Amino acid sequence: MANKILGNILRTRPSFMLFKRWEGSKSEKRVTVHDPFYSQPQKNKQSYLEVIKMFEGQDTRRRGHVEFIYAALARMREFGVQKDLEVYKALVDVLPKGKLIPRNIFQAEFMHYPKQQQCAIDLLEQMEDNKVMPDSELEQMLLNIFGSRGIPLRKFWRMLYWMPKFRNLSPWYLPEELPNDTIALARLAIERITSVDPDIKVEIWETEEIEASLDKTWIVSAQSESQKILLAEQPLDDPLIVKGPFNVYLREQVVSYFLLIGKTRPEIKDDSDPDDVSNIKKPLGIPGVVGSSQVPVVRQTVHEQDDGTIVSVCATGTSSRDSLLSWIRLLEKHGNPLLSSIPVIFTLTAPPSEMSIPETQPVKDRSKVEEIAS
Amino acid sequence: MALCKINTFINLIRNNSPYPVLSRTIFKTNNFNYSKPILIGSQRWLFHESHRKGGYDTEHKVSNLEHLKKGFQELKQELKLFKQEVIDLIETDPLLIARPGETDLIWCFNDLSTLDKFVTTADSDHNEGFSSCSLEMSSAGRARFHGYLDVRVPKDGRIKKAGYCAMRSKRIRKSFKRPATFDWHLYNTLVLKIRGDGRSYLLNISCEGFYDVTWNDIYHYVLYTRGGPYWQIAKIPFSKFVLGSKGRLQDKQTRMRFDRVTHFGISCGDKINGRFDLEIEYVGLEFDPTHDEEFAYEMYKTDKYIVGV
Repeated sequence: MANKILGNILRTRPSFMLFKRWEGSKSEKRVTVHDPFYSQPQKNKQSYLEVIKMFEGQDTRRRGHVEFIYAALARMREFGVQKDLEVYKALVDVLPKGKLIPRNIFQAEFMHYPKQQQCAIDLLEQMEDNKVMPDSELEQMLLNIFGSRGIPLRKFWRMLYWMPKFRNLSPWYLPEELPNDTIALARLAIERITSVDPDIKVEIWETEEIEASLDKTWIVSAQSESQKILLAEQPLDDPLIVKGPFNVYLREQVVSYFLLIGKTRPEIKDDSDPDDVSNIKKPLGIPGVVGSSQVPVVRQTVHEQDDGTIVSVCATGTSSRDSLLSWIRLLEKHGNPLLSSIPVIFTLTAPPSEMSIPETQPVKDRSKVEEIAS
Repeated sequence: MALCKINTFINLIRNNSPYPVLSRTIFKTNNFNYSKPILIGSQRWLFHESHRKGGYDTEHKVSNLEHLKKGFQELKQELKLFKQEVIDLIETDPLLIARPGETDLIWCFNDLSTLDKFVTTADSDHNEGFSSCSLEMSSAGRARFHGYLDVRVPKDGRIKKAGYCAMRSKRIRKSFKRPATFDWHLYNTLVLKIRGDGRSYLLNISCEGFYDVTWNDIYHYVLYTRGGPYWQIAKIPFSKFVLGSKGRLQDKQTRMRFDRVTHFGISCGDKINGRFDLEIEYVGLEFDPTHDEEFAYEMYKTDKYIVGV
């Protein structure tokens, strides 16, 4: 019996998946690192799963599985699989089944196999950070590995309780995967920021329509009927201002947009006393009463902000000055004839320069540089 | 050579210091200008919190004489405050009902003095990251909380995650530096008028108590911003806020104690690199009679040894 056990131990190859120690010639002893993730020619989900399979097949005892899982977790972003539930399941599957389940209350209370449990918790944490919702299959896998008293299970149940609560909380819906196309992305962004006015129309124009334009690109422009009226009522001697670029975030994607701002309109002052009954008008909409339904001519709209009247919003393909000039021309063409006679000022901040931020330098310096530039 | 060895030894102790006593003596004897070792991560070494700020020592050390001088200078202001408190006590004219539909403003950011009631923090303040932020007046004359969120982790082998910027109100107080708390029990909704950049921010309402277990009790909720030039009014019922401690949601949830609110803050930490920009016009409170929910999350009893362990 003892011989059999000894033989078993001796037969297991002492190969480490990630580190092969003391390799090389016998005189010179040095550490060589073998990283199966590094040597993969293609970095995708298929090759990632292959490495996991390779590790599982390499050693019946699966030595160093905790180290392997940590190494694999760190490589997820590189392979682009950090949002894939299937990959996380494959990693959990590396852990041995049955062995880590506590057998008595003392083991259950004092964190049986702490390294393995902490490793599984870190894996779940990474799932949480990448907004991957676990499912019941993963629960079953964890139950088979750690038993119902395992701390990873607690973490799992907490995730399953809280994550669905916060998943669809945002009032502005975004699709699960954002479009890769920049026009579609810009359209999403413009639709989102103009969602205050349901009447708004988002249109996609090409600058080629304007003959004098230099930049041949696209423009996503939004304007509602009320904004057209507001623009038409602008005083001719007060210039309109193009402001920007401002940023709007759609998850990780940033879209810069520009505003066309007019003069701040004076607030309508209504001094009439609602309790004054000396001069009551005929009520409207009552059968038998003949009256005219008069809507006040000047109405407070959402576009009249206190720092200016927003007349239109746009995003262009290049965000260049020339494309914005084309935007003004296109607005003029599409139902805003006043723009031909009203002056427009471009107050654009310089496009953010591509500066590399040194690793040790705090970012404060960068903002200062940009402020000076602008 | 010897110095080098001592240094490596000290680094060893600093980086995994299970022996705080040993490391402290070494710091004393060597007089190295290291920052205090801060315990990071989920691991807890002690059963109690010894420091309200979790080991982040931000106090300015002044001599006793300086202390006396400064205290004497502040006496006048404190006496004024005390006088006002006595007058308020005699008048006894508290607000008894909140008018439905009306918003009572706690902070209206239309002048610089309101900004002084807030403090901004970022992870670069403690050399734990590269984010930076500031709270300034915007061109529209409102508060502008902006900065750069950077999720890079400094390579010191100690920090696992980085990237947060936060603004938080200073602790309100009574005269003679006695800490006070807000009393919001008339209201049930938080109202903010903001203009954001499409990112989501976190609202933090701290309810620090006397005992150390409550020092990190913060009620959180997400503030989604539309982005764009239009102002938006966010009304969030207090019942929706979830209890967290040190950023971790707690298993045993409770509703907020409205008379124990100590701080209010907004933080940005959505793991997205880049600039953020949030303009705030006011932070107010409202009583919404149609909202009768006390707490939005389940509070049923669960199995033993699962919740709250």
